[in-house]
Amino acid sequence: MSKTFDILKKTVIVQNQTGLHARPAAAFVQTAAKFDSEIILKKDKQEVNGKSIMGILTLAVAYGQQVTICARGIDAKAAIIELEKVLIEQEKPAAIKEKK
Amino acid sequence: MKIMDFLHHRAVTTDIKAKTKKEIIAELLDLLVNAGVIRNKDVLYKVLLEREALGSTGIGQGVAIPHAKSDGVKKLVAAFGISKEGVDFASLDGEPVYIFFLIAAPDDCAGPHLKALARISRILKDKCVRDLLRDAVDAKAILKIIKQEDLRN
Repeated sequence: MSKTFDILKKTVIVQNQTGLHARPAAAFVQTAAKFDSEIILKKDKQEVNGKSIMGILTLAVAYGQQVTICARGIDAKAAIIELEKVLIEQEKPAAIKEKK
Repeated sequence: MKIMDFLHHRAVTTDIKAKTKKEIIAELLDLLVNAGVIRNKDVLYKVLLEREALGSTGIGQGVAIPHAKSDGVKKLVAAFGISKEGVDFASLDGEPVYIFFLIAAPDDCAGPHLKALARISRILKDKCVRDLLRDAVDAKAILKIIKQEDLRN
C-alpha cells in the first residue's frame, strides 16, 4: 500500500546577508516541520536533516552560497516552495524592525 | 576553527544557579567578566536580551546558544554552563535547557560567528556528547570533553 516518492530538489542561493545563522536556521526548521516529507539540506558534499537546527548550523552557510533543498514525501513540492522562500528572504536589520 | 579557540577555559561552569533566562545570561556574562575577556557587561547583556526577544536561542534538545554581536568585545569569545536541573528558556521544542553556550562577537564578525555556531552544533548534535557534558562533575571535566571533541572532527 505504501507509495514511494521521488526526491525533489531545488538549488538556492542564500540571500540572508549574515548567512544561515541561528534565526534563519530556526525559521527553516520550523517551516520544514510543517511538512510530512523528509527534508535534507545540502551544501557541497555535506548533507543534514532539514528538521534539525543544529544540523543546519553545522553547514555554516554564508551569504551568497549555494545550497540544495531535497524533499521526499507526499507534500515535497509544497515544502520546497516554502523552504525556498525562507532561504531567499533578506533579513530585516534588527534596528529597523517595525515598532508600530 | 576549534571551540577552544574561543571558549575561555575560566568561563566554564557545571553549576548554573540561575533559574530564568535573564539571570542565566547575566551569570554566563559574569564568567566572562571574571575571566577578564569582556569590557562592558551591561552592553552585552542588553544586546543578548534583544536577541532573545527576536526568538529564543534555545535550539532544542536541551541546548541554548545565546549570542550577540557588540563592540563590547574585541574578538569572538564564549562561555559555557550546565544547569543540572534544567531551565525554561522558551526553547523551540518547549523542553528545558541544560547546556548553555554563550557567544559574544564584535560587530563586524559575521563569518567567524557563523563558524563558531557550526562548530558548537557539530559537537552538541551528538546525544552522547550532550549526556557526557550534562553529567560532568566540574569545569575541568567539561574542558576535557570539549578538547577531545575538538580533535575528533
